[in-house]
Amino acid sequence: MGIHEMVAQYREMLEDSPLNLVAEWKAKHPGSKVVGCYPVYTPFEIIHAAGMLPVGIIGAGNRLEIAHADSRFQSFVCSIVKSTLELGLIGNLESLDGIVFHSICDPARNLASVFKRNFPKLQVEYVHFPQNMASPHTVNYLAAEYRTLKSNYERLAGRPVTDDDLRKSIRVYNEQRKLIGQLYRMRREAPQNLSTLETYVLTRIGTLIPPEEHIGLLKEAIAAAKERDERPKDRIKVVLEGSFCEQPPLELIEGLEAAGCYILDDDFLLGWRFFKQDIPSEGDPVENLARAYLNQSVYSGVKHDTREAKSKHLIDKVRETGASAVVILAAKFCEPALFDYALYRRALEKEGIPHLYLEFEEKMWIFDKARTEVETFVESMLFD
Amino acid sequence: MIYAAGIDVGSTQTKSVIVNDKLEIVARSLIDTGANVTKAGERGFTDALKASGIRREEVVYVVGTGYGRYKVTFGDTQITEISCHAKGASYLFPATRTVIDMGGQDAKGIKVGEGGDVKDFVMNDKCAAGTGRFLAQAAEALALPLDDIGEISLKAKNPVRLTTVCTVFVESDIISYLAQGKKIEDILGGVHSAIAARTISLVRRVGIEAEVTFTGGV
Amino acid sequence: MAKTAEANKTNYQGQMHLLQKELMGNYFNQMTRAAEHGEGKAAYMLISGNPVELMLAFDLIPVYPEINALQLAVKKVALPFIQKAEEIGYSMDNCAYVKADVGLFLGDRKTPFATIPLPALILCNYVGCNVYLQWFEHLAEYCDGTLYNLDIPFMRDPSGKPTAADVTYVVRQLEEVIEICEKITGKKLDYAKLKRIVALSGETGEIWSRIKGLTKNVPSPFDSYFDSVTMMAPLYCLRGTEGGLKFFETALKEMQEKVDMGQGPLPEERFRFVIEGPPPWPYLRTFRDLFSKWGAVAVASTYSTVGGLWEFGFKHDSNRPLESIASHMLEWNLTNRNFLQRYEQIRRYVEEWSADALVIHSVKSCRLFSAGQGDMREYFTKELGIPTLLVESDIEDPRYFSEAQMKNRIDAFFESLEHKKIVRGAAAAGGAT
Repeated sequence: MGIHEMVAQYREMLEDSPLNLVAEWKAKHPGSKVVGCYPVYTPFEIIHAAGMLPVGIIGAGNRLEIAHADSRFQSFVCSIVKSTLELGLIGNLESLDGIVFHSICDPARNLASVFKRNFPKLQVEYVHFPQNMASPHTVNYLAAEYRTLKSNYERLAGRPVTDDDLRKSIRVYNEQRKLIGQLYRMRREAPQNLSTLETYVLTRIGTLIPPEEHIGLLKEAIAAAKERDERPKDRIKVVLEGSFCEQPPLELIEGLEAAGCYILDDDFLLGWRFFKQDIPSEGDPVENLARAYLNQSVYSGVKHDTREAKSKHLIDKVRETGASAVVILAAKFCEPALFDYALYRRALEKEGIPHLYLEFEEKMWIFDKARTEVETFVESMLFD
Repeated sequence: MIYAAGIDVGSTQTKSVIVNDKLEIVARSLIDTGANVTKAGERGFTDALKASGIRREEVVYVVGTGYGRYKVTFGDTQITEISCHAKGASYLFPATRTVIDMGGQDAKGIKVGEGGDVKDFVMNDKCAAGTGRFLAQAAEALALPLDDIGEISLKAKNPVRLTTVCTVFVESDIISYLAQGKKIEDILGGVHSAIAARTISLVRRVGIEAEVTFTGGV
Repeated sequence: MAKTAEANKTNYQGQMHLLQKELMGNYFNQMTRAAEHGEGKAAYMLISGNPVELMLAFDLIPVYPEINALQLAVKKVALPFIQKAEEIGYSMDNCAYVKADVGLFLGDRKTPFATIPLPALILCNYVGCNVYLQWFEHLAEYCDGTLYNLDIPFMRDPSGKPTAADVTYVVRQLEEVIEICEKITGKKLDYAKLKRIVALSGETGEIWSRIKGLTKNVPSPFDSYFDSVTMMAPLYCLRGTEGGLKFFETALKEMQEKVDMGQGPLPEERFRFVIEGPPPWPYLRTFRDLFSKWGAVAVASTYSTVGGLWEFGFKHDSNRPLESIASHMLEWNLTNRNFLQRYEQIRRYVEEWSADALVIHSVKSCRLFSAGQGDMREYFTKELGIPTLLVESDIEDPRYFSEAQMKNRIDAFFESLEHKKIVRGAAAAGGAT
């Protein structure tokens, strides 16, 4: 299958009803359990090592009408919180046995409680990720947190998880991340040959299937993409930042590029690309996972590391990729992304890097305004 | 003689102009966009041609702009209305550094450089507060024609304070002021102050620098 | 029928109010002296579950950006600061406490109540609220103060208790904070002094919890929302000091007297309600009057437990100062508890404080409080059958307060409560014959 066909096929699955994939997997594996993972990051290895399937529950896209959840969460709460609850309220999360939330922001934290109350059959977990990255004591805390999570998942799975199980899972996810990284690198080096939409679809499909399958699929896609040899278009090169949790609609991702930019890097689906290097698979696996979170994970709006400013990471990214501008694409009402913007803007202006600020909602249908803004931005850079 | 044309297919109306090689406007037309956006572009252009007696072949370059710019299928290029507002304002008033464009559905602030290039810009979000829609809503709540409210509001002596920034709430606020016996001109004065405050806070994001040129229907 | 607003306005001014004014005035003057004459060093902290005892042990001046922001709102001068922050990139949808504070911080930091000193230490006690992390991250970016993220694990265990690892983690961090304070002040921690301060906090908290218990009386001697505000400032700014303790002793005595005389904040207590959510500071009086006119008194409020939850049994223990500070930060404050624990807290208030209804004031700025309050309403109305009203505005941004809307909803709610009361009364009378 060529890359075009692959992407078209997965895109249809993603747009149609992504959770069908999960239901199908469950039907094929009777007795197996599935755990939904809310963004941004989950230590999938712990779920996987217990023989369960971790899947991304990343909102509901723009095809689902919110009819119940907005009576629970107010108008000023972001879309993904509401759409995730809506999925539960209309019975679309039936194939899940558990779901895990994290300390990423205030609405997501309250959502965990609302899930607990409304869906008593679901095992709802909540991980408090540390925000003191600088203390030497933090690793013990996080390892303890992961051990609690592990024993809760042993209970759900009905079997113990050995260190070797965990090491095996660490190796699987290392491989998956490495291949996603390769896909991103290919796009960065020749964005005319692999679009952002394609990179996105190929990555996102991996949030819904076993990582082993995703690895096979990625290898095929990478081989197919290598066959492409397109002429570069006259577009500006940008780094996209701000969509680390709620995801923009596929049409918007596509539209951004069509409006005249090549996106050399982005922060979509960040939890599945959370480490640039492998997590060590030798030694104490739980401690390795905890250390990786503290010292190896990528920056984002939900991790506040006092050791280095987020804006420095962003500027480094621009320099490393050779982009000439930044597009901030923040989810409407996403406080972490909105707050980050104030500091990003300050740093980018200081560095003389032009930027465009855009807001989106996962449920948006019409993209004219975004398109106009991107085109104007491109015009202002190309006409300069 | 050679000519160029610009066609702005907006959400409610389609505006066309034809200029000669001295950049003088020789023809213009204004029609409702209606449901068929492609036709509106075509019809607006034909109307302008008819009005001026210029032949189609004489127009060597056509630019489409506005939200329906890609429907101007016969156009040579498409440029966003933001870039156009900047260019236009700067052409008419070369010292323009800030453009405030207030339309029916959106408001924009544009920071422009010499020659009319866009340095930075900002648009309101999808909420219609602070746009023409806000004024229309207020006029409706008071059962007054939209065209009259500007004049009436100038008579305001003690403009009321509208605490809300939402188009939906403006109606209930107005009704409660009416119930309190406030004068219509003072209420309208408040409405206009609210929209001005909202616009200023929007445009301040790009920085307000003299000279400021206003564009758009409001 | 609702009485005229005038007849039911509250105007009580006792000894405690005078003392509050004096003590808070001193507190703000101390800040101004630090800002303008370099007298002392300031430590910025957040209200929710903070380790002020440690700061006081080092003679650091505790400064609370939240208090500065709310004072700006109360004094109705917040908007220009909010707008200033919005000009430099803060969103309409960001917490307006942060925006007002950032607007103030980036200017000359002069306010009608104090000049705010720059921080030597920016101690982010991350107690539930994620916005806190960004707030202090930003302040640290704008100045030279040392930033320390004091990470407090959230109450996520089904038991509602911290784990052993949580406690160890927090205590270890407090020890790091001590080291930083020693560096900043150039002096060693005086452990005996810390113990004395923690003991003062323990006594203050205990008196506060007794005061809060008084509102179980009918009529309630004070309004647990609007009048608690007077007591919350000293609780947060003066906890761990002799002055703070004296204030609470005075307040307890005065409130006990009101109980003995059968007095409440209004001429007649007609409805008792529990209120959830922070108040609309820019329109506090307007908001209060909307309830007073119905003879409605708040007998318990979740907002008054943001800084600490003393009324359910917590007391600082001077024999284990660090552990008890850790326990306060982890477990004994509202914001570090999960949403369902809050439901439970409110349920207890309704039952044990014999309330007729629940009012939820949903504020846009604080999503920690508000996100999901629709589900809370669902729980209280449908599961527990408690009449519940949800109204929306903001804690700081005056642009989000619509008096007409608010009045409408509150009136409609109390009209229906009144109707129920009459029907119930008639049924009871009917049953008696």
